[in-house]
Amino acid sequence: MEIIRILLRSKRFVLGFGILAAVLAFALLGPRFLTDVAPFQRVGGLYDAPSRDTPLGTDNFGRDVFTQLMFGTRTSLHIGLVAGFVATLIGVTIGTLAGYVSGMVEEALMGFTNVLITIPPIVVLILLSVAVDARTATTMGVIIGVTAWPWTARAVRAQTSSLRTREHVDIARISGVGSLEMMLVEILPYMFSYIFMAFILQLTGAILAEATLSMLGLGPFQTVSLGTMLHWSLMWESVRIGAWWAFVPATVFLSITTFSLILMNAGMDEIFNPTLRHTR
Amino acid sequence: MVRLFRNRPYLLYLTRKAFWYLVAFVAAVALNFFLPRLIPGNPVSVIVGQMSAGAVESATLERLYATFMRDFGLDRPLPVQFWTYLTGVLQGDLGTSFMLYPAKVWDVIRQALPWTVALQVPAILVGWILGNVLGALAAYKGGAFDRVAFTGSLMLSSIPYFCLAIIFMYLFAVHWPLFPASGGYSSGYFPEWSWGFFLDALHHYALPFLTLVLVAIGGQAIGMREMAIYELNTDYVNYARKLGVRDRRVVRYVFRNAMLPQITGLAISFGTLIGGALVTEAVFSYPGLGSLLFTAIRQVDYPMIQGITLIITLTVLLANFLVDIAYGFIDPRIRAGQAGGR
Amino acid sequence: MPNVVEVEGLEAYYRTPAGDDLKAVDGVSLAVREGEVLGIAGESGCGKTTLAQVLGLTVRKPLYIRSGKVLLEGRNALALDRETMRREVRGKTISAVPQGAMNSLNPTLRVRNLVIDVLRDHHPRIRRREAVERARERLDLLGLPPRVLDAYPHQLSGGMKQRVIMVVSTLLDPVLLIVDEPTSALDVTSQKVAIKLLVDLLARRIIRSIVFITHELPLLRHVADRIAIMYAGRVVEVGAMEDVVFRPRHPYAAGLVGSVLVPEPGMKERTVTGIPGRPPDMRRPPVGCRFAPRCPRRFDRCDRDPPPFVVDGRKAWCWLHRDAPHGGRP
Repeated sequence: MEIIRILLRSKRFVLGFGILAAVLAFALLGPRFLTDVAPFQRVGGLYDAPSRDTPLGTDNFGRDVFTQLMFGTRTSLHIGLVAGFVATLIGVTIGTLAGYVSGMVEEALMGFTNVLITIPPIVVLILLSVAVDARTATTMGVIIGVTAWPWTARAVRAQTSSLRTREHVDIARISGVGSLEMMLVEILPYMFSYIFMAFILQLTGAILAEATLSMLGLGPFQTVSLGTMLHWSLMWESVRIGAWWAFVPATVFLSITTFSLILMNAGMDEIFNPTLRHTR
Repeated sequence: MVRLFRNRPYLLYLTRKAFWYLVAFVAAVALNFFLPRLIPGNPVSVIVGQMSAGAVESATLERLYATFMRDFGLDRPLPVQFWTYLTGVLQGDLGTSFMLYPAKVWDVIRQALPWTVALQVPAILVGWILGNVLGALAAYKGGAFDRVAFTGSLMLSSIPYFCLAIIFMYLFAVHWPLFPASGGYSSGYFPEWSWGFFLDALHHYALPFLTLVLVAIGGQAIGMREMAIYELNTDYVNYARKLGVRDRRVVRYVFRNAMLPQITGLAISFGTLIGGALVTEAVFSYPGLGSLLFTAIRQVDYPMIQGITLIITLTVLLANFLVDIAYGFIDPRIRAGQAGGR
Repeated sequence: MPNVVEVEGLEAYYRTPAGDDLKAVDGVSLAVREGEVLGIAGESGCGKTTLAQVLGLTVRKPLYIRSGKVLLEGRNALALDRETMRREVRGKTISAVPQGAMNSLNPTLRVRNLVIDVLRDHHPRIRRREAVERARERLDLLGLPPRVLDAYPHQLSGGMKQRVIMVVSTLLDPVLLIVDEPTSALDVTSQKVAIKLLVDLLARRIIRSIVFITHELPLLRHVADRIAIMYAGRVVEVGAMEDVVFRPRHPYAAGLVGSVLVPEPGMKERTVTGIPGRPPDMRRPPVGCRFAPRCPRRFDRCDRDPPPFVVDGRKAWCWLHRDAPHGGRP
């Protein structure tokens, strides 16, 4: 629990975590306590202004924006978590492997990774999304995850290479510890804070990727996400009509969610990356 | 070969880079070719089937079917299909559009590409320069200036492009109608080289440009600040101070060295920011690739989507390559190579 | 002989990011005389590098001086303004060869340009060509190839980098050169060459004095005139090289002299295995003698009271020598 005490010392981390916790609570508990309509239920007409029953008005289909916002945030976080998990898993596996085994395997893995980094992720995302027809939130998360891992792989490899030459790894190697055990026991535990930060970045990127894809019309089917909310509000000209309640909530939620994650990351960076400490 | 590169480290660097970009190019083309074929069943039937849900005459459908069977070459083995596709791409043949049938995909893209390039490249460059200046100042000044600049940059960079675009459009085009809300030029004008058109286009340009620049500033400032703080604490800075080198000069060392990774960062931002930037175009209905992509996806115009993704990839690869060439000139270590007074 | 730099009752602290103060140097008085090589030895973390920073007048955050005097050629050095300090003192009166020579040269600057910057920032009227010419002559004099001027740091070997730094640091003929662990990153051959270069600089009277910081006491036998041994932020023994090395008074100095240095792979510094135990936690140092918990000759009093300061031609802070002639408190 030492780690929590250290994290709490960073104001940025605490602020970011607080915002994220509030968003999470809204998305997870909101549907139980704050609304009694279903997300796709029609409660009014096209872009009804906010009222007592519909605190954030209605969208283009006459659905309650407040309810949509709760479910949408939940879907966006769901997609982000799946994608973040997939990307971190692949990235850490490939990065650790490439950093630990040197020579041809490393060259091949990193060559592959670097080629993938050069190709803009949005391109692969679009092509994959078009190819996969029935997109649930989970499949979208997987699609985003499998395109986003190269950055994590690259960062993890650099860390692993520097860890490999440390003393405790040498001692373990001399004592005859096997390669797999070595990676799991002697290398990965030293990178937990680092991997966690990479995960947070992936989560942020994934939430944005979901919104981007959904805005383009490649969002999850039969569910509402922050991105699809924006997609419909854009298709139905809410901005030009001036129906701010149709686009402001999703915009604000997307922004504060990513902001909270980036703040947490910056806070952790301050703590775990001592060269960034401002000592001048 | 070895002799060719001896004492020409820059040439070696360039050749190595060119090789990797070639690999990336082939990989990108392969992705563009294979991913659509993940669609279960005969993709042409699926696509045309999806289209037939709309109100299209059956004669048109048959013609479409024949055109796409030819374009895709589905009756032939996969390697032959790939070869057909590759040779087609190299000759600038990206197939036939579906929503704009019988227009060729390349012809449509060619109209939209200049708008995208004219919007994105200056926005990224200006954002990059301003971001670096801001980040460098934050790192050097420290204290309150740093805290405000850093938190502001974090905030800016965490707002997705298109969110800022929507907010700007609402505020400055709808609520206070200072700028036009959509398009690249007014309906009374036609793209031509005239003052009237230029000023009108500039008026339409302002909001999308401002959006892209602001978000880019945030991201770049964070990167530069991090690099500059790192450099300010390096051994060579301490040593130069111990030797009594002037502060001004030490600061110059630091920023020069912190800039170098930022140049690579510029190349990266082309690739990572393009997604959000395309959606920003769609938000403003700017007549570039983003809006075209938006429409193509809605109309399930597969050849068009594929063509756009390919062009985006190629443009990004080209931009990256240009940045790498410039980097080789700027980083003295690359030109000097390893040979020297050991 | 006059003193180049002198500290009196120095207390220096590091302020941690959390806002705590860590004591690094605790009540040290020490003078560097003109014309001498003063060795400072001790385990890592004993405060020797901090003391070197104070002697080199390069104190910067998070390190700060809480109390004590720092005199430069008899004048209060803490009162000097920044610009005078930079122009008149740094590189000119006191110069340094920093720890970690591998990264001490700017990776994107040719040695030639560093030389030009250093010379012109002290003699604004010197021409670039003259500056390079002066550096070339100096390299020649000291037997180094002048072509290193055209090199970027990554083109130089580790040993060559170290020698180039020594030459650049002494371009302005400083009175005092402070060298911090100059050999710890080098192989044995390069170590010898580096030490030889230092001796050469003294012999040619390019520099007058050296403060030589190291954790390897035996190294000082070949270069030092006097040696100060540090432990847990304090100087525990000071004296002529022969006395400290061959007839140490303080049990810690004796342990340091007698200890065997065992290389361990991957460790930055080697452990002193002759003395069991570890240095105390500086946040809660022992009340009595700081070395007492590890001392083989400890007795009750050592735990209770700080040891006196004994003068019998030498100084050693230890209760064992309480009854020596001329003994007294500091």
